[in-house]
Amino acid sequence: MRILVVDDSTTMRRIISNSLRAVGYEDIVEAGDGQQALQTLDGVNLLLTDWNMPNMDGLTLVKTVRSSAATAQLPIIMITSEGARDEVMEALAAGVNDYIVKPFTKETLGEKVKAIIR
Amino acid sequence: MSAFSGMEDILREFLVESYENLDRLDQQFVLLEEDPGNKEVLASIFRTIHTIKGTSGFFGLGKLEKLTHTGENLLSQLRDGKKSLSPAITTDLLSLVDAVRGMLRHIESAETEGPADHADLVSRLAAHTEAGPVAAPAPEPFPTGEVEEHLPSIQPLVVVELPPPPPPVEIPSMGKILVESGAAREEHLSEALEQQAAGDPRHIGEILVEKGAVEPVAVKDALAQQQENRAREGSVADSTLRVEVANLDRLMNLAGELVLVRNQLLQFASRFDDASFNSILQRLNLITTELQEGVMKTRMQPIGNVWSKFPRIVRDLAHACGKQVRLEMEGKDTELDKTILEAIKDPLTHIVRNSIDHGVESPEVRAAAGKSAEGFIQMRAFHEGGQVNIEIRDDGAGLDAEAIRRKAVERHLVSSEVADQMGDRELINLIFTPGFSTAKQVTNVSGRGVGMDVVRTNITRIGGTVDMQSERGLGSVLKIKIPLTLAIIPALIVKAEGQRFAVPQVSLLELVRLEGDHARKGIEMIHGAPVYRLRGRLLPLVYLRAQLGLAPAPETGSINIVVLQADGRPFGMVVDEITDTEEIVVKPLWAALKNIRLFAGATIMGDGAVALILDVMGLAQQSHVISESRHEALAEMSHAVEDNGEDRQTLLLFRVGDSHMAVPLDRVDRLEELPAESVERTGSQEVVQYRGRILPLVRPSDHLPERRGERRGGDGQRPQTLQIVVYSHEGGSYGLVVDGIEDIANENIQVRREATREGVTGVVVVHDRITELLDLERLALKVG
Repeated sequence: MRILVVDDSTTMRRIISNSLRAVGYEDIVEAGDGQQALQTLDGVNLLLTDWNMPNMDGLTLVKTVRSSAATAQLPIIMITSEGARDEVMEALAAGVNDYIVKPFTKETLGEKVKAIIR
Repeated sequence: MSAFSGMEDILREFLVESYENLDRLDQQFVLLEEDPGNKEVLASIFRTIHTIKGTSGFFGLGKLEKLTHTGENLLSQLRDGKKSLSPAITTDLLSLVDAVRGMLRHIESAETEGPADHADLVSRLAAHTEAGPVAAPAPEPFPTGEVEEHLPSIQPLVVVELPPPPPPVEIPSMGKILVESGAAREEHLSEALEQQAAGDPRHIGEILVEKGAVEPVAVKDALAQQQENRAREGSVADSTLRVEVANLDRLMNLAGELVLVRNQLLQFASRFDDASFNSILQRLNLITTELQEGVMKTRMQPIGNVWSKFPRIVRDLAHACGKQVRLEMEGKDTELDKTILEAIKDPLTHIVRNSIDHGVESPEVRAAAGKSAEGFIQMRAFHEGGQVNIEIRDDGAGLDAEAIRRKAVERHLVSSEVADQMGDRELINLIFTPGFSTAKQVTNVSGRGVGMDVVRTNITRIGGTVDMQSERGLGSVLKIKIPLTLAIIPALIVKAEGQRFAVPQVSLLELVRLEGDHARKGIEMIHGAPVYRLRGRLLPLVYLRAQLGLAPAPETGSINIVVLQADGRPFGMVVDEITDTEEIVVKPLWAALKNIRLFAGATIMGDGAVALILDVMGLAQQSHVISESRHEALAEMSHAVEDNGEDRQTLLLFRVGDSHMAVPLDRVDRLEELPAESVERTGSQEVVQYRGRILPLVRPSDHLPERRGERRGGDGQRPQTLQIVVYSHEGGSYGLVVDGIEDIANENIQVRREATREGVTGVVVVHDRITELLDLERLALKVG
């Protein structure tokens, strides 16, 4: 079960990765923006991505992933800020399976991940 | 705080990351003022604040979250073009950055956000934001089905000024591994890929196994190989690593120790003549050097890290002074040691402040002088000759040498006799004297002129030099030269009562040896203090033995004076013996010895003995050799030297064959004596190995067109040792081979005749002798 965490902030990546490890997911890879994420997709079973990133943002990443046959079915969770209603709608339209609002607890994150990969 | 494990670690990382981002913001705001509509810059600023907001929630930092949230709202409106940037908004956004930074500092030191909630700022930011807060409260969960067709478009986000992402790491795909190892055939793979593209959700391996195109065990092997590749490469984001500075310091220290041991070993090995031992030693030698360079490199940081705050400083200051200033930076990538970078931060700030406050004129004054209303400050950094050069140039009013002379005399910083002898350049550099100020009125920007002497003291402390050049009406340029690192420095080794001491070369001006009559009568006593008359000026002397509390040296018929410079003033140190120059590794002194001003540190010599490093400034202070009153008294007693010193140049005089030749002393890096057999040849070029590098040799007589009747130096037998004048040109070092060093002259030198032959810049008369000034550049080209 390999999870790819995409966020331009190293702090956020560590928070997310640590949370995932705390609820039992050990195989985690990280990327700093959408472009790096596309290079790291191989063998990934779940994509967790931030929205606002340089070079390629989360939304573009989601659209790109969905447009490629190999990854069209890859489960994606978008990490968004509190109150970003428009973002959530756009992300869902682009094909994310679920979203999670910052700040979240490791339990919430764990439940969402579990629900999606089932 | 949330229940994440290892939170302290993450909090520290959050602080470091946020500081870095905020520092970059300062620069971006300035960019934004020049180009208010720049979406990319706005998006980048938005992202920084947004990230801090998003992360602060995880740490339960409510105030920080609220503050950044308000800023984020305003920034998103600016980014989306719903609102345009005004100076008032910029100022409030800058306050936001400062407030956030303040909170982070508080979190760092006290683990709380601090008492300030910045309610004023929050309401000002909110007021700028159109029609109140834009962001809605936390959204209700949306069932996927309710998504509307038409969604608001979002600007694509692109970042500026970020380093380019590291090149993508290429990990071979499963299919590629299988084909390359011969386990699968190319055509089977493309079939499987097509199947996958058509919607088969299974892995390539599974499809191939099912097709019978590959053995399951081969897939397993390939999988293992892929995992291994991944582990080796790591993910793209993992290609850099944060390391504690203390760890690097320790490594640096250990590498330094290794260098010392290597030096001891090299000296030890010279006693034996064992070829295999020597070849092992050569390897150790090379590896040690490489290791040391490698470790040094890890401590290097680009000067841009310190410079990034200057656009903001310049902007704020220029606004405050009612001036228009454009800042240009060149060589941001120039790297230097972290410790040095820290040390130059404040001096640089001071210099830039001074340039804006005292250098650049107000727009009206500039217009009246026929200049553009906007002033110009350039910061430039580059490597040259193993040093880092930093120049800060402005196109302001320049310094008034005459006004400086008057003020310096008025304030008793120099006597009028001394001041009269000084050239413009020397006068201008008086601004570094303690207590000097050229500002007509005291401003709250650069204060009372207490700065420039502090600037020089700080730069000198890290082994650097400062020099100011200025042209009235056109502007000034301040040049700083600093070493790449403080850990290893060139030093002169001197002796007192058999003990060795190291004198940092940066404080060294010249060496003087008195023999015979000169030794007996050369040193005079003035007001009970020993002085030596060096080229017409009185040089105060310090006896190293006396400073160390040792008995005076017995008469030997010769006296060695090391001419040093502290606080811009020369003085002589009398030592028993001068041995050699060496690269030494600086070790801190044991704590109990730290308050002895005489010593700056210690080093271990090649033979394993410890030598103390003399602190030249401390030596000067302890012996009161450069105190004001004594300096002035000496200055008055010095013979007034004829002429105004404008054409003064200190020349190194030497002989080549029958000809007397000279080069400017400030072009000379070192004088060396090397055995003739150390000369090697690459092609037709003579070279020697010198300090780990190849030094091309220049024989002037080989390159100068022959004059009629001239007897060439060095025909017949060549001498046993070579006298070499080492100089640098465009980053390379060259060795000028001469037949004998004769003297150093600092008289009023006038070019009598223009060059008579190629390779010579002019002909001068020194000590009643016709002397040719060599063209070092041209000679370097001949061999380069």
